Amino acid sequence: MITAKKLFRTWLVLIILTVISIVLAEYFSLSITHNTIFIVAVMFIVTLKGQQIIDMFMELSLAPQKWRFLLMSYIVIIPSVIALIYLW
Amino acid sequence: MNSVNADALIDSEHVHLKEVSAHNVIQESSQEKKLPGDLAMWFFILAELTVFALFFLGFAVAEHLNTDMFAQSKAKIHPFAGLINTLALITSSFAVALSLQAMYKNNTQLATKCLVYALLFAGVYIVVKVWEYQTLFALNIDIETNTFFTLYFLITFFHLMHVLLGMVILTYIAINAKKGRYEQTNSNMLKKQLTASKNSISGFESGACYWHMVDLLWIILFPLIYVI
Repeated sequence: MITAKKLFRTWLVLIILTVISIVLAEYFSLSITHNTIFIVAVMFIVTLKGQQIIDMFMELSLAPQKWRFLLMSYIVIIPSVIALIYLW
Repeated sequence: MNSVNADALIDSEHVHLKEVSAHNVIQESSQEKKLPGDLAMWFFILAELTVFALFFLGFAVAEHLNTDMFAQSKAKIHPFAGLINTLALITSSFAVALSLQAMYKNNTQLATKCLVYALLFAGVYIVVKVWEYQTLFALNIDIETNTFFTLYFLITFFHLMHVLLGMVILTYIAINAKKGRYEQTNSNMLKKQLTASKNSISGFESGACYWHMVDLLWIILFPLIYVI
């Protein structure tokens, strides 16, 4: 069972990562074209946030590994493909 | 005298080892890896994730092909609204996760209270989204304005429908939890013995996982529309 303390930590991490992505958007807003570092950083943050939701909120870290692997592949593959499309 | 003491020591060590081993067996059985919720709900979640994946990739390809038009259109939407909605959904998901932990401890009162908070935060999302749509309509922007707004309205409205369905599910499980209709048990045999008036907690878990999926989808949608 995932404790309330761990859930609170997850919530805090998710909030901080969300704020970081907004700050990054503001920082890179001056550049006319999409910056490679910016796209990669934002999509990496999406993966980190997804991993937190999958493992802690959905409790898949306590579930059979194949289910965790399935959801984790989604949150790694989709943002990676999106990043590749933007950087193509 | 020394040999008697040594025998007593060995005996007590044997008893201790047996106790430790029995404790480990109990712990292992209670920590058995189990998928939360019903299997059918997980197949439904996978189907939903696949549909949204096509939307996300379609949006990214359309933006890649119409960079300038997407940049001009994105300037007309409010990133702050996206930020508030993200914070609201994350906090709502947190409240649902806390609610499930309370249910595991058979604390139905706390579980119901957390679900009410989750619904309130979901309400914030709905209000902000409706305000966002109204603001765009006031600027004469609708689904037919351009490719960006066609995709924007299609994807965000589809997601909004999922939020509304999630809220219906959360309300249903909150009512059931308040009425004490969920029973926490780890034993499959006990689960089968539950009467019609008492459901296993897996119904509660399924509802919670659906809500986390809605949050997970928004986590990807938010940077696509508001950040990049």
